[in-house]
Amino acid sequence: MKKYILGRLVRSILSIFVVVSIAMFLIFTMIPKTNVFNNDPVYSKLKSDPVASITYKYQKWEDLGYLDFQQQSDICKESGVACSTRTDAFNTVKAEWEAKGYSVSFTADGMAYIKKGLDFYIEQPEMCKLSESNVDYDECVKTRNATFDEVFEKYTNNGYNVLYYLDGAIYAYRDYSIFEQVGKFLTTFVKLDNPWMIQDASNPDLERKIYIGQDHNGIPAIKCTGCESQYLIYFNSSFPFIHQNWISFDFGLSFPTYSGNDVMDVISKGQGNVIMSDVEFDTGLKSSSGLNLHTCKYKPTSTLDKMDKTKFSTNYANCNSFTEDPSMIGTSYLFGILGLILSYVIAIPAGIKMAQKKDEWQDKLGIVYINLMIAVPSLAFILFVKLIGGKMGLPDKFPQFGFGDFRSYILPVLILGLLSTAGLMMWTRRYMVDQANADYVKFARAKGLNQKEIFNRHILKNAIIPIVNGIPGSIILCISGAVITESVFAIPGMGKMLPDAIKATNNNMIICLTFIFTALSVLSLLLGDILMTFVDPRIQLSSKGETR
Amino acid sequence: MEDNKFEFVQLEENLSEHIAAPHYSYWKSVFRKFFSSKIAILMLVISAAVILMSIIQPMISGFDPNHNPNINNPSMKFLYPSLQYPFGTDGVGVNIFDSVWAGTRTSLEISIIATTITTVLGVIVGAFWGYSKKLDAIMIELYNMVANIPFTLIVMVLMYVMGAGKWQLIFALSVTSWLGVAYFIRVQVMIIRDREYNLASRCLGTPTYKVLIHNVMPYLISVIVTSVSRDIPNYISYEVFLGYIGIGLKEEEASLGRMIQEYAQYMQSYPHIFWIPVFISALISVSLYIVGQTLADASDPRTHMM
Repeated sequence: MKKYILGRLVRSILSIFVVVSIAMFLIFTMIPKTNVFNNDPVYSKLKSDPVASITYKYQKWEDLGYLDFQQQSDICKESGVACSTRTDAFNTVKAEWEAKGYSVSFTADGMAYIKKGLDFYIEQPEMCKLSESNVDYDECVKTRNATFDEVFEKYTNNGYNVLYYLDGAIYAYRDYSIFEQVGKFLTTFVKLDNPWMIQDASNPDLERKIYIGQDHNGIPAIKCTGCESQYLIYFNSSFPFIHQNWISFDFGLSFPTYSGNDVMDVISKGQGNVIMSDVEFDTGLKSSSGLNLHTCKYKPTSTLDKMDKTKFSTNYANCNSFTEDPSMIGTSYLFGILGLILSYVIAIPAGIKMAQKKDEWQDKLGIVYINLMIAVPSLAFILFVKLIGGKMGLPDKFPQFGFGDFRSYILPVLILGLLSTAGLMMWTRRYMVDQANADYVKFARAKGLNQKEIFNRHILKNAIIPIVNGIPGSIILCISGAVITESVFAIPGMGKMLPDAIKATNNNMIICLTFIFTALSVLSLLLGDILMTFVDPRIQLSSKGETR
Repeated sequence: MEDNKFEFVQLEENLSEHIAAPHYSYWKSVFRKFFSSKIAILMLVISAAVILMSIIQPMISGFDPNHNPNINNPSMKFLYPSLQYPFGTDGVGVNIFDSVWAGTRTSLEISIIATTITTVLGVIVGAFWGYSKKLDAIMIELYNMVANIPFTLIVMVLMYVMGAGKWQLIFALSVTSWLGVAYFIRVQVMIIRDREYNLASRCLGTPTYKVLIHNVMPYLISVIVTSVSRDIPNYISYEVFLGYIGIGLKEEEASLGRMIQEYAQYMQSYPHIFWIPVFISALISVSLYIVGQTLADASDPRTHMM
């Protein structure tokens, strides 16, 4: 049994990796990388400035993991030689022309030219010939000096494309192959915090250890210096009471929506207004602050400001805040669970009733309901319920009243719940009806038990087993149903994030959501199977090796 | 007892050839059973009408989403239903009667093509899958992996990667769902192939193809029709949903989903504009589903006994 579960777990994790890799493969090979700027306001603003826009573009691509980008300063630093793009002779001539009020431009292969008005156009050899300074003509015509040529060759041999800005400076980039991209992602996306995580040049004496200390409330916690997070494990009063910062996932930066933030932060950080409370910082300062001191992360000494120093005695000064509203994951989870509870509360008694009154009007009504729910497009159903709800004065968009108001929850939860009732009712009825013809039921009837006792004591216990198996699985249904519901009601949850990310070309977000949805559903199926063995001890997962 | 009370009867050779059981024809029974349901006939009429409308009407109107002569004509905006414009016109003067049927045709095309692909592929692969143990070991792993991923996620990521369009949508809808059909068929084939009556047929020397046609097929047909009748509304629903969130079809393709998304802004001001495409999408999927379910019941040979 243990061996079976371990095997299943390994296969589950493997399949998550395969799915995420396939998604990455598809996204990085089939979406042109220029598409990421389609919805980026910064890029469209920079378009008029060619140098800045090129730098911005390649910098972003490097951040997003498409390529390795090197600017002239990086290239020179790396090569370790005195490297200036131009020969001294050329630089003298260039300065001379510029002093006369001409501006020197460069072609993509590094040749200089001067263009003024319609009729004045000369190229580099001409520039050198016409110059008044007494420079070596051969040296001046060369586009680069000798040391730079070496560097250039080295970069080209390493697969870099070396190109020129319009001002004559160079930049180099190398596209990562898709396997490099996927490999890089797979090796870095699980981060295990450790005391050697932080490499800060401005703080060379950083102590490196993990120890058991106390947090600001005096509760014991596993703390660390040298790690990225100050608290590795801590306790507080919010669910699930024990929290960890040890293992974290890194899916890269979100772009262009929520630009500059980690994808994981975007969907897991709280939303809404900051809640202020009285906090005592570790320097002894007491003030009203919204900071959640348990989430503090390392901030390099060079970026610490005065405010940080008055509050914190260590470098761990980069903290999240307490917020009024749950994070995106939290929101989806909340709606999913509420909807799930509602659907079970409605569907199971209804399914049982249908089985008890088989072929009577209750059963027929139920079948009509099930058929309608399966056949009507879910969007039509959602909009219809929304219309009726709207007529009763309920808000038709979630943000209208927000998280604080009970009314905002009624319609989305009702819809989420009802959407999954049809399948559940159908299966409950099916299982109950199947069991009703079993021999043990005939025997129970022969013993003189009445219909009610037979149903509640015998049939239900057996029929509920496959339904229990489906409980974790229906969490998936809730989440995929939530994509529609959250979009329709504008609920700031994870489900709405997927279509939003698709529309905004936010690749990292899509990969992250693929991972989360796949991981959740794979694990919930595994949990369902394990749960089933608890409910029915006759079921042995390992005996046949295959349960579904 | 006297002999004169009896008389001789002639030996009737024909009667000895007569078989006591009534003549049974599978397809006749299927149709008799199907047409005994009044709701099914009604739904058949509705779905036939909708399908015919969606084929014929766009041919007559020649509706083209890219071509809108009334866009600068304010007097054509938001006309209420009349004889000339049975469903009225929308905010840019498009005749909704034309666009709704063109959209319905696209939706139907997508769902029917996708269902055909998944069913044909699923049934063929599923039949082999059910028979071959070696194939089973590989396929079950593949199935477990694919079945674990939410379908919505697969469709949305594929649509994102491939871009909007009708054929892209058909591909995204069918690329993994045939596995579900195949798995369904595999289980059925496994159940049927070792049934006693099949063993009996084999013992009596019936050729395999006859066993397949007379014993296995009738049983599978109802299973296949059930799955088809569930798939068609499901795919229509997906087209509508993806159109609504804006990643389904291209701008220049008529689509019910995109119409619903476009008209959602008129939900308060001109509700009829919004509800017409919603209602049509519900109408086709419900009628096709009920026809399919009744046909599936009728094609199950076990219901022919009554």
